[in-house]
Amino acid sequence: MSDCRRTADRLTPYVDEALPPAERADVEHHLTACPPCRVSAEQEQGGRTVLRERAEQLRHESLPPGLRTRCAAIARQHTRGASAAVWRTRLLPASLAVALVLFTAFTVVMLATQRSNTLLAAQLTADHAKCFRVFPPPDRDLDARVAEERLSSQYGWDIHVPPSSARDGVRLVSARRCLYGDGRVPHLLYDADGHPLSLFVIEGVARPDADVTTFGHRSRIWSRGPTTFVLVSPASAGDLTRAVSYVRQAAQ
Amino acid sequence: MFRRRSPRNPAGSPGPPGTDAFSNEVLAFLEPLYATALRLTRNRAEAEDLVQDTFVKAFRFSDRYRRGTNLKAWLYTILHNTWRNRLRDAARDTVDVDSERVEEAASLPGGPMALETPERILLRDSLDAELQAALDGLPASFREAVWLRDVEEFSYAEIAEMVGVPIGTVMSRISRGRRLLFERLSRAPANMEVAARQ
Repeated sequence: MSDCRRTADRLTPYVDEALPPAERADVEHHLTACPPCRVSAEQEQGGRTVLRERAEQLRHESLPPGLRTRCAAIARQHTRGASAAVWRTRLLPASLAVALVLFTAFTVVMLATQRSNTLLAAQLTADHAKCFRVFPPPDRDLDARVAEERLSSQYGWDIHVPPSSARDGVRLVSARRCLYGDGRVPHLLYDADGHPLSLFVIEGVARPDADVTTFGHRSRIWSRGPTTFVLVSPASAGDLTRAVSYVRQAAQ
Repeated sequence: MFRRRSPRNPAGSPGPPGTDAFSNEVLAFLEPLYATALRLTRNRAEAEDLVQDTFVKAFRFSDRYRRGTNLKAWLYTILHNTWRNRLRDAARDTVDVDSERVEEAASLPGGPMALETPERILLRDSLDAELQAALDGLPASFREAVWLRDVEEFSYAEIAEMVGVPIGTVMSRISRGRRLLFERLSRAPANMEVAARQ
């Protein structure tokens, strides 16, 4: 390994004065003999000095109004042993806040019994609204194969992701793991003729078909083999027939 | 409040998860977490979301925090992971692309340009704005590395664990980040002088 390379590898601990004396002397010896490495060292030292001199100012950022209150509410909920759902009430309309509280309270029951379509719909409606609001998807299409690859490599899910279909007015915009709910549900986000549309894929569970409206959102629930699919869209968006039938068909 | 707390030795050990003592310790890190989130996202609304999400996760997974270990490093790890997941969800821009681009930029020969001294840079009236712009212009992984090292004063090992890369990679990101930052700060006034002369 050349001296320059060896010096470059030790430049950071050198300017941080974290090298043992012998290595330090070794680096200094090379720097006196090698102008390009000396320039690098001076640059790194310069950047370090400016940053550290201004660290205090950089650290000082005034908090946005309400952030402390919301974070304190999250902490309080935790201290009380309840779930940390409070901050979401600031971000979601009242009806959804009710849904969140409801599903948080009943999720355990629901997961245990697997019975209530209404509770499943309420939970996923909350997740649908949360993901579209809190993590607004970028305004461009997501390639379905990229989404599949991402879900597989990050979470080990091997699911089929229906791609965008211009003919049916459907655009795939994001694919994520839903953090809330039971934390294990693949969530595919679509734009259907300008309306937010969510497809949840719940593996290992079969349910009878159902069409439920909760909190202003329509949830279509169906199963294929041991997999349950749930499509959620705002009730005000109309029936979105073409988009829905496309995603239903493509999801199988 | 925060300044008095050494990053490696948080004042006292927080109480067990679920207690007021634990909550208060976590809340004490709100400001530095927000400043870091803002530098990572470069956007106030996103930084706010990121911090809230970090708090939700910190409390939800508080049973995974081991008492007596560094609470600040634990919180920053959650912040980092939440941010990376969002980046991955939001776009295909990856750190690797960033690194390549800068690897090229950072390996350019210094050229005949005379180096500014840090002392002269620190005297500039416009430094705050210039420094923020220069930081924001760094590729994400370098920006994060220099911030965690020079502003938050984490050790190489702590950063490596937080970010999930080897220590050598952490050092080279810090090195490139610092040099690039200094180069940009050195260039800023030179350009202005040229512009003034024309």
